[in-house]
Amino acid sequence: MTDDAPAAAESSTDEQIREVILRSLREMNYDTTGIDDATLLGPAGADLESLALAELLVRVEDAFGVRFEDDEAEQMAVLTVGEFRAAVAARIGAGAASSAVG
Amino acid sequence: MSERDAGRDGVVITGMGLVTTVGTSAAEVMAAMCDGRSGLSTPPPGHPLQGAVEVAGFGPPIDPAAVLPGPETRVVDRYIVMVLRAAEDALADAGLEIGRDVDPYRTAVVVSSTGGLPTLEAQSIERSQRGRVGVSPYLLPGMLPNMGAARIAIKYGIRGYSSCVATACAAGGQSIAEGLRLLRSGLADVAVCGCSEAPLFRTLADTFTNARALARGWAQDPASASRPFDRRRNGIVLAEGAGVFVLERAAHADARGAAGYADVVGWGATNDAYHPITPRPDGEGAAECMRRALADAGIGPADVGYLNAHGTGTKLGDTAEALAIRTAFGDHQPPVSATKAVTGHMLGASGMAEAAVTVLALRRGLLPPTQNLDDPDPACELDHVRKLARPARLSHAVSNSFGFGGHNVSLVFGQPSTRLARAV
Repeated sequence: MTDDAPAAAESSTDEQIREVILRSLREMNYDTTGIDDATLLGPAGADLESLALAELLVRVEDAFGVRFEDDEAEQMAVLTVGEFRAAVAARIGAGAASSAVG
Repeated sequence: MSERDAGRDGVVITGMGLVTTVGTSAAEVMAAMCDGRSGLSTPPPGHPLQGAVEVAGFGPPIDPAAVLPGPETRVVDRYIVMVLRAAEDALADAGLEIGRDVDPYRTAVVVSSTGGLPTLEAQSIERSQRGRVGVSPYLLPGMLPNMGAARIAIKYGIRGYSSCVATACAAGGQSIAEGLRLLRSGLADVAVCGCSEAPLFRTLADTFTNARALARGWAQDPASASRPFDRRRNGIVLAEGAGVFVLERAAHADARGAAGYADVVGWGATNDAYHPITPRPDGEGAAECMRRALADAGIGPADVGYLNAHGTGTKLGDTAEALAIRTAFGDHQPPVSATKAVTGHMLGASGMAEAAVTVLALRRGLLPPTQNLDDPDPACELDHVRKLARPARLSHAVSNSFGFGGHNVSLVFGQPSTRLARAV
């Protein structure tokens, strides 16, 4: 039970991130049917234009209390939903680690 | 050689689209004036203006998704939504498709607005509550004053001259004047001209209230609140609205078989150079504006059979305008009426609805009355059309628009010079 706890926490964070991404897209009036981890965020997939990508990032920053740099934002269009989710998870982990150190 | 003589032919209105508190067509605004059907009311339950103003003019609901792509509909100002609806109606009314009927680069769009200040207010509140993350990246495309013109250009593929004039309550009239000048100069064949205003938000209502500029004491009788030239007038009634005209070189309209409503035959513009909000008491800036408009049209005071006044219902404004009309027209005073009595003051967008009414009066030979003008103020002595519409035969009609900042614009309309005249 104690051994399983970290893995369970991780996957629940993953699920939370996925939920925030999908909910954000719906609230931004994008159709999320058929969107999965393999879907590209940019024009070749979910078809988010530059301001929409920017808004998605702000919503994720708001939900998880993290901050992405401008050069990271520029790469978003070529990420898949799954890759973006992993990037968010890594940022949340880094934040937790740095606050633990601090 | 005057600017008018330089043009190869006339400039005609081939399409009109309106969003007002009394309807979405020129005929409806005209009917509201004639029948005394007011568009003014107390704020509906739940509206942010409840408790802030007694009376205002609330326009029809328009679903942003009906005029914009879904993702762009969340942080977009009401002024943009209204002007896109008016543009859609005006272009359909003109039967004009950019690219098919006119060269996109010879099509201009001049659409004015104070801008999406309600949206800025809402986002400022969000920011004060939630910080940076409360502010949408869509704020600027959702509120900048030029975005009406820009979004019409994007939606309909208009690639020529585009602009947004910002002359407060003179902006609608001035957009039509700008379109007229573009078409006369030969730079365009079609000019889509308009204005849209969304002033029904708390910050604006509060500053108007604190400036003592709003009509007060009419909560029990909202239809009586806006009273141009009446002795009991005591301020403006804020209203929202939009209007778009399709202006076209008459030869271009003839070539595609389009019928004209009326020609825009003259314009005048001056500045009072006096005070940021108070009109010159002697009305000289406005009088010279009307003189210049008549001169540009090549007509005299006796040729004007109707004048649609700016007529806001303020003490100083109406008195100064009445004096200006008396001065400009001398021994040939035209019949005068004011539309704001039924629509309220749609700021710059009033100029569009009032130009539309002026065109209908000209074409129908029927002058709509000023409602609520029960007891004309002696300081506003004019040939008032009041209570009942007045039949008349007329060749030309004038519409005035004056704005904060001392901006004055007058337009002269004449019978359509196209082969086909639009039924009205």
